[in-house]
Amino acid sequence: MSKMLSSNRRAVAIVLCTIAFAACSKTVDVHSPQVRGVGYVRLDEILKKHPLYGQLSQIDSNIDALSLRALGPAVPKTGAEIARETQQLNAELRAAQARANDQLRARQNDFSQREQAAIRAAVVAAGENPGAAPAQAMQNTAAAQAASVTAQANSDFGKYQQAVLGQDQAAVTAVSRQLEARAERQYRQRADELSAKESQASLEMATRDSAQRISLRAKLNNLALDDALRAQVKAQLAALDRKESDAVATMRKNDSTTLAAYQAQLRAQTSADIAKQAGAIHDQTKAKLAARHASVSSQVTSVIQSLGAPAASSGSLSAATQTKIAQIDRQYKEQFKAEVGKTMADYNRTRTDLDARFAELHGVNATSQSSAARQLDALHRQRDQLYNQIVAQIQHEVQTIATARGLKVVFINLVAPVGGIDLTADAMKDVESLHE
Amino acid sequence: MKAPVKHLITAAFAAVTLVAAPLALAADLTDVGAIDQAAIGSMPAFVSANGQLAQYKAGLDRQFAVAIKGAHSAADQQRVAQSFQQKLLDRQRTVMGPLFARAQTAIASVSSSKNLSVVVDKRIVIFGGQDITKNVMDLLTSPGAIVPPVSTPPPSEVGYVDQAAIDKIPKLKAASEDFAKYDNDQKIAARQQMAKAKTDADRKAIFENYNKTVGAQRDKVLKPLVDQTQSVIADIAKKKNLILVIDKGDLIYGGTDITSDVQNALK
Repeated sequence: MSKMLSSNRRAVAIVLCTIAFAACSKTVDVHSPQVRGVGYVRLDEILKKHPLYGQLSQIDSNIDALSLRALGPAVPKTGAEIARETQQLNAELRAAQARANDQLRARQNDFSQREQAAIRAAVVAAGENPGAAPAQAMQNTAAAQAASVTAQANSDFGKYQQAVLGQDQAAVTAVSRQLEARAERQYRQRADELSAKESQASLEMATRDSAQRISLRAKLNNLALDDALRAQVKAQLAALDRKESDAVATMRKNDSTTLAAYQAQLRAQTSADIAKQAGAIHDQTKAKLAARHASVSSQVTSVIQSLGAPAASSGSLSAATQTKIAQIDRQYKEQFKAEVGKTMADYNRTRTDLDARFAELHGVNATSQSSAARQLDALHRQRDQLYNQIVAQIQHEVQTIATARGLKVVFINLVAPVGGIDLTADAMKDVESLHE
Repeated sequence: MKAPVKHLITAAFAAVTLVAAPLALAADLTDVGAIDQAAIGSMPAFVSANGQLAQYKAGLDRQFAVAIKGAHSAADQQRVAQSFQQKLLDRQRTVMGPLFARAQTAIASVSSSKNLSVVVDKRIVIFGGQDITKNVMDLLTSPGAIVPPVSTPPPSEVGYVDQAAIDKIPKLKAASEDFAKYDNDQKIAARQQMAKAKTDADRKAIFENYNKTVGAQRDKVLKPLVDQTQSVIADIAKKKNLILVIDKGDLIYGGTDITSDVQNALK
């Protein structure tokens, strides 16, 4: 009796626990009418929690930025537009040269006056005659020469640049024409070959069937032939003609397919050849311009260096004052050289930008465009690979959660999840734990 | 002592039964099938048909290039373009039509034999569902005609909307076009700035500024409409006792179409 009572109590306890669990559990019942074993996740949100999302996002940014940049200058321009923009760039270049020269002249005068004043002050301080100080301490002539040589060198470079770009354009056009003509010749040759084969085959068939054809025609010439037999012979003759024309038509159709494929192949090959040759021409152009640019820069630099020569000394001053004057001269020349260097660096930055715009305008950077396209391809492949890897990991985590919760099916990116259970938060937690 | 305990047990079981009642009433959704469309597309018949179509298109492109040169006005050019587009569509119908029809029959037949009410693209199913790709492929490669199922698919608690049709609702279309124009203008401006940019840092700044501007416009113009559309879809789905709604593009067979209800509610 007491054993039975004890057993009943245990049963009651289990049942009450079950009720308590059912009532208190905050876990959603996945088999309820609202859920029915269906789950869903918002994949885009889980992706953001994945340890590799940063990389994916970086690749996406690179793709977007590269697409924007690659698409920009690819818009074809008319000859008039190119001429107008070239003129504008030339004007900008001349303005930049004039600005640099004005700055150099202004600096030169400023330094010259300041140096002169410093020398006079040094001579007076030494108790000597200020009239004996060098009349023009700063070498105005050398500075003016520097400005003039710089302007001339830049002007020469501008002319050289335009001549080289013109040659580049002409060479690319000539190469394109030659390669297109070669492709056209090859296509014509193949078309003629196939056409000759068709004619040959047609002739062979006609020869092979000639005996039968003559025989049938001979029968038709027989006046005693009744209508039924005449119709039958005519039908045979027509069938013979049809057989030959069908065979030729089939051959022509096949040849036409062959020719279309051959033409597509030639086009692809010609485009690749043109791109390759144009790339080589553009590379040569770039190398020529870079070499000339380096030569101009070194020419200008050597002229600026020549400003370092010591100022002419005056014999009527004491040795100590002359040493002091030489020291002041050196100090001002060094400062002036630094200022000239800065002005030239500013000018060169503008020059480099204008060079790039010249190159872009004249199509010299076509190779860099195709390089951007190649980079884009590579980035897309890299992105797909990384994305698939991330999604596979997320899928694994979601599968584990879904199995543990007894779900039957889990969807991603629904238009509207009305029922079902949202596993996004759980999956995000699990995916985040991959960081650890 | 025994009788009260017995009553208590009975009462407890009654309580458990009441708590568990919905369980018995609602069966889990198990009639969802999934198909790997890429696998079907890689079957020899589909590959060959695609090849034929590509070849035809290449020929058509060449003819188009010649024909468009002869069209001088915009109207002529449009007419020529439409005529070639139509030719391509006709050929597509001729070449792919029979294959698609056979595939549809195979899917319907397999779905019917497995009592599926809906079949979706495998890409939107991350877990579970019945993958019927192999069954469909086996049926497609079997000789002879495929016998279509006698009955139509049973009513499904999985709904779908044709997003393309929803996008054509005037107010959504206008907003979408306005945004596209804004995006295009910003893109052109950004490209012009890119062409003048001297350093990578400049380019990055231009790109980030473009993204920020376009993103803000998207949130302002499109997001409220997207939210409203989703809310309408969810309300209609609830009224029709659907458990979820997918895009028509992801649906392959069966399902419950609520596109027209959504269109009417949004007008």
